[in-house]
Amino acid sequence: MPTPVVEIQHVSKYFAKVVANKDVSMHVDSGEVVALLGENGAGKSTIMKILYGLYTMDEGRILIRGEEAAIKSPAYAMERGIAMIQQHFSLVPTHTATENIILGSVKGHYSIKEYDKKIAKLAESYGFDIPVGRKVGELAVGVQQKIEILKALYINASILIMDEPTAVLTPQEAEVLMQFIRDFTAKGNSVIFITHKLREVMEVADRIVVMRNGVVAGTVLRAETNEHELAKMMIGQDIVPAERSVTLDYETAEKVLEFRHVVLRQKDAPPLIDDVSFAVHRGEIFGIAGVSGNGQDALCDAISGVRQATSGEIVYCGADISGYSIRERIAAGIGYVPVDRYRDGMVMDMTLAENMLLKSSFDKKWFSHGIVRQKALNAYTADKIAEHRVKATGPSDLAKSLSGGNQQKVVLAREVDLGKKLLVLNQPTRGLDMGAVDRIHKVILEEKESKKGVLLVSTELSEIFEICDRIAVMYKGKFMGVYKNGELTTAQIGLLMAGVSEAEEAAQ
Amino acid sequence: MKGRFNVLYFNIGAVVVGLIISASMLLFMQINPLSVGGEAIRKIFTDHYTTGEIFVKATPLIFTSLAFAFTYKANLYNIGAQGQFYAGSIAAIALSLWLGDVLPTVLVILVVLAGSAAAGAAVGGLIGLAKAKFHANEFLVSMMSTYVVKALMDYLLRTGLQETKAEYLQTDAISKNAYLPNIVSGTRIHLGFVLAIVTAVLIWVLLYKTPLGFRIRAVGYNHNAAELGGIRTGRIFTVAFLIAGGLAGMAGLTEINGVQHMLLQDFNASIGSFGIGIAILANGNPIGCIFASILFGFLNVMGTTMGRLPGLSIPASIIDLIEGIVMICVIMSYFLRGYVQSSMEKKRMKKAGA
Repeated sequence: MPTPVVEIQHVSKYFAKVVANKDVSMHVDSGEVVALLGENGAGKSTIMKILYGLYTMDEGRILIRGEEAAIKSPAYAMERGIAMIQQHFSLVPTHTATENIILGSVKGHYSIKEYDKKIAKLAESYGFDIPVGRKVGELAVGVQQKIEILKALYINASILIMDEPTAVLTPQEAEVLMQFIRDFTAKGNSVIFITHKLREVMEVADRIVVMRNGVVAGTVLRAETNEHELAKMMIGQDIVPAERSVTLDYETAEKVLEFRHVVLRQKDAPPLIDDVSFAVHRGEIFGIAGVSGNGQDALCDAISGVRQATSGEIVYCGADISGYSIRERIAAGIGYVPVDRYRDGMVMDMTLAENMLLKSSFDKKWFSHGIVRQKALNAYTADKIAEHRVKATGPSDLAKSLSGGNQQKVVLAREVDLGKKLLVLNQPTRGLDMGAVDRIHKVILEEKESKKGVLLVSTELSEIFEICDRIAVMYKGKFMGVYKNGELTTAQIGLLMAGVSEAEEAAQ
Repeated sequence: MKGRFNVLYFNIGAVVVGLIISASMLLFMQINPLSVGGEAIRKIFTDHYTTGEIFVKATPLIFTSLAFAFTYKANLYNIGAQGQFYAGSIAAIALSLWLGDVLPTVLVILVVLAGSAAAGAAVGGLIGLAKAKFHANEFLVSMMSTYVVKALMDYLLRTGLQETKAEYLQTDAISKNAYLPNIVSGTRIHLGFVLAIVTAVLIWVLLYKTPLGFRIRAVGYNHNAAELGGIRTGRIFTVAFLIAGGLAGMAGLTEINGVQHMLLQDFNASIGSFGIGIAILANGNPIGCIFASILFGFLNVMGTTMGRLPGLSIPASIIDLIEGIVMICVIMSYFLRGYVQSSMEKKRMKKAGA
């Protein structure tokens, strides 16, 4: 048996309060694609960051081509042919593609033209079309990723780690990437592919390492497994899908939220929202699909009041709320679950009760004689904890002591209560375990039953297809169209997400 | 609860280490720190007047440490308590000289209290406003504001407020009618000490029991989430600095009307910086500020007493030495605490996992 190129033996990594990896062992052979599969937070990125020298392990050892290696820094890792493409690219946006690629490997005086030629040749040999002289910040995300890959190829990396490489890509761009991975490994190189998408794993991996809660849940060969088995390993339990109710006749139902030609533009930049019009009705779940970063966050900000629309009207229950402050919008009954609960949704160093109060600190019902009614607040919080099955010991728990899924349940509990008529959810299940996802979907469907309007932004098509009544696809700030659920196939929606309109689609 | 005790242990440890280091400095002067320290402590606690000095020195420190601790809760750094204190002192002396003989004592004190708090709040409020409106760095602005107020004070001490003899850079003494009443005979402890304790308790209530305090803390922990909760962070910045400035300004009343009875150049020049260290020692807790201030009052008196012990010629600067070293130890313990806690957590998990 040949020596594996990488062998990770019994590695553990602890962060303050969290076990990130516990006794992780795996190996990678040459010419092999190993997929590291698991939910967000399963410890996939951590173990790879250890391999790449970004983190140091607390226990265990790593062998590179049979030799024990103390990988202290990415520079050390690169010397041994290991390169990692981070989920968030490490490129200098104001430098050209060439400059980014040679960064760190040139010294003194050099001719950029010569390097431009060299890089262009390298790119060509892998069938990449890269404008080497253009500034990276001006290039599309898919191209930026190719530049990241070229950075690795330029230093002759033979072990390439890719962290969720398809998260920012359209299905078509992802296909190009998969082809590259096959070509690259055919030359005897190895790829470690971090992902939480089953379909990709089945498409490209030779061997699959499944991680759950920081430990390896199992290692299987692609040829000997199927998506169902992998899902079970990843989640550790079977999923009961949320029950769908009969679709309401929302066309005649009352409009809760309406966008009329809304534009949101920042100085000297393409508009974040470009002439968007749509309506969310009572009892409707309106889904917005799209690759993240296409204006969904700006759209949610425009509703919650964090940003003001440049032009157009945002009508809520018949009134134009464009000029309302955040506080007025909360009082009007708009509930909003932001995409980043650590940043925007919760105060992690405060108690659960205080977090329930966060958006009601101007509501007189929680105060008497200028003092917070702590007992009433605690009782209310305890109620909500029980109702939403939040795993916590009580209202005085600090928010940060809860798991991600339970934190999200608390945010949702608060927003469902505040959102008397409208609930806006921006990727509410991102990074959560299946149990929590299931629970959150059930709550959303209950809200629909109670005749609230729900706006759901999601990058997960399965989620959109599972619970939405109508689906809009957002691309570069525009709506590519609004469809009833069931009208679109995955392939069609994929093209829309890539910015190919129906007319163009028909022409092809 | 466990976490709180941990903090307490670390702080006590830091103070003890600081005292040991400063005591060992005495060895360089061929002085036995134990016998000298023992002598000083005996003196402090047998002489009522000297015991009282601890609380006299602690009084303004309670105010300046509260001034730092308060904005700290909003994750803002108020380095300018000294300037806010000077602003309060200017208001206190001006009002006392003007109204000292005109109004009855109670009214004079109330007017001076309001005036000194307002003057400090004005300086603080401007810093907060600069932060809220122009995203100015409050750390730098508050630090530099001290020099501006100090220059203003020096100017006034040469002009409008200078003593009638026009000899020194100081004001006339205020009328006895404007003195803060003494509360323990045989000492210099004045009503200002009680005022400081009441204020600290009220600040604690404000921070932990009222909606405003809740908003301030929410902004301090996570201003993004607070903003999305309808709280205007800019307004909170301004209000927090306004209140902090008022707190530091109130020390103007206690020092002018309670202790010095006049204003002079470089008046209590280091209570602002000590306030910062005391607030850190108290972990930002208003009640903790009371005890930490008393501790520093004690260190101050200890230094003075040691300097006055006959036949030893210990320099008076020993006060600065002790206080400075203890302060450094406290600040270092703050970082050490974080490091120790995270590595203890790791060990615990290794054991749990194995």
